[in-house]
Amino acid sequence: MKVYCVAYLGFDSEAALYLESSLERAGLKFTSATPDIQGIRKVAEAKPDIIIWDTGGASGADVNIPVEEFRKAGLENQPVIALVEGGDSEGAIQSLASGAVDFMYKPLKEEPLPRIIAALNTGQKQNRARWYARVIDQTNDQIKAILAAMEDPAYIVSPQFQILHMNRAAEEIFGEGLRGGTCHHVFYDRTEPCEICAKTKGPARWRAVLKNGKSYRFVSAITRNSKGEIEKLVVGTDITPDEEVKKIHRTFISNVSHDLRTPLAAIDQYVSIMLDGLGGEISEQQKEYLGVIKRSSFRLHNLIENLIDANNILSGHLKLTTEVTNVKDIVEIILPRIKAQAENSGLSFQVTIPDDLPNVYADKARIAQVVANLAGNAIKFTEQGMIQLRAGFMPRDEGRIIVSVEDTGIGIPKEDLANIFELFYRVEKDKVYVEEGAGLGLSISREIVRAHGGTLWVESMEGMGSAFHFTLPVHKGDAVIR
Amino acid sequence: MGDNDKKKILVADDDRDLVLALSIRLKASGYDVCCAYDSEETYRLAQENKPDLIILDVRMPAGGGLSSIERLKHSLTTKDIPVIFLTAFDDEEIKEKVRRLGASGYFRKPFDDAEFMAAVARILGEA
Repeated sequence: MKVYCVAYLGFDSEAALYLESSLERAGLKFTSATPDIQGIRKVAEAKPDIIIWDTGGASGADVNIPVEEFRKAGLENQPVIALVEGGDSEGAIQSLASGAVDFMYKPLKEEPLPRIIAALNTGQKQNRARWYARVIDQTNDQIKAILAAMEDPAYIVSPQFQILHMNRAAEEIFGEGLRGGTCHHVFYDRTEPCEICAKTKGPARWRAVLKNGKSYRFVSAITRNSKGEIEKLVVGTDITPDEEVKKIHRTFISNVSHDLRTPLAAIDQYVSIMLDGLGGEISEQQKEYLGVIKRSSFRLHNLIENLIDANNILSGHLKLTTEVTNVKDIVEIILPRIKAQAENSGLSFQVTIPDDLPNVYADKARIAQVVANLAGNAIKFTEQGMIQLRAGFMPRDEGRIIVSVEDTGIGIPKEDLANIFELFYRVEKDKVYVEEGAGLGLSISREIVRAHGGTLWVESMEGMGSAFHFTLPVHKGDAVIR
Repeated sequence: MGDNDKKKILVADDDRDLVLALSIRLKASGYDVCCAYDSEETYRLAQENKPDLIILDVRMPAGGGLSSIERLKHSLTTKDIPVIFLTAFDDEEIKEKVRRLGASGYFRKPFDDAEFMAAVARILGEA
């Protein structure tokens, strides 16, 4: 069992004797010295577990524990009991305030052991608390070192949005000495907290253009302070280069598509002028050849639009102009064109759309584009027979509209079925492309349907025809279970 | 019907080939056509000729179609002349801007003749 050692620092030989005799009787070790630096060093060698500091005649506000000297001698973890003159309550309080865990009045009359054991206990608790505090300080220092080493701006804010800490990168953007200000005011010149913070107490993500003119993406994480309140650690990433690349890309595509369409318009116009006889009379043969130019320029035009479309969709710029509408109205937009196309190919075209289908919330032009694409494909890959366009209602869950385009064409080989929605994928037949097309239409269609919250899929068997289906969620105000 | 009764259309585009094509088609439909190849010329000819309709390109030298329509709509002489935009840009922002600036139509190149001619006739109050 551990033998505790008690050190007395003071001039009072009577008190020293009293302590020595009663403690040694209890089996504790005792050492004593004068209450000065030499004395402190001397008792430190005995590695005492507790120190009894005799205030030696000092009284009132002059009673202080020499904590700093104890620390220097390696006695910072030992609890200290102060001995003060009997009745000097002000001195007793001062001794506690300056670091003692307890005090005893002189002359000593009571048994010191219980007080010493209690003080050891308190001392242990204090040491533990001090250790925790040190660990916390150390962790805080490490966190601040990590933040300081980061090139991205980072800061910590209190639950009241006060800036508690900013790293160097943040100071370079916003300036120094801003601690204590509120983040919405200092960073964004706002009088009220930003919407994202007002709305969510949890971790969040947002984008902002800062005072240096750059775009940042911010991520906040939640930490708790010593009072258990939620603080936010916010780290920003400079996304200006990404944004610039995107902008250059958009401008490039916009200009290239402009420059591709401009000569096409002229080709188109002159062909029409000649076909309409505005350039003089033309023979049947010439008419036929002009028709070929017209069709080719139409194909080229389609290809350009599809490429631009695919580019926009792939770069996440598919913008939908949605409204409450219904499949019948959407199909009406392109029905005359599809019907004419089917007739030209000698195919019959059947449309079955009930009048009482629930509404959908959709971009009419985009969904019409999907139907036109599916019907166009069906016509392209069917030599004889019929194309059927059907729409129906699927009541499961909140209800969906299903649109199907079925043909009696060549079908899709099993090994190609999984790939036909991939960009630029084309089914090869005997290693020869069977028809014109860039392999964009189905990828675009699938993305359009997906953006509406629906699904596009296919069923097909080689030589037996294909059936393409897509669904659209029913407009919420219309979700009637039948 | 004398020449003076013909409706006058100003076609402004820096693509001379397309301007010629448009003027052939518009003349064939009985309109009087004058042509401009940049924004300055567009403004000057609009002031001088007071056309019944202006067909305007977006990308043109000396300012472009957007600045042209702005100038035209601020001039007392030309503010009431309808403007149809004909451009190879397919940009929602431009479309919206053009609408706010008071354009009566927006066609994207390449365009459908029949639809375009129908819009011209409608805007000139002939349809």
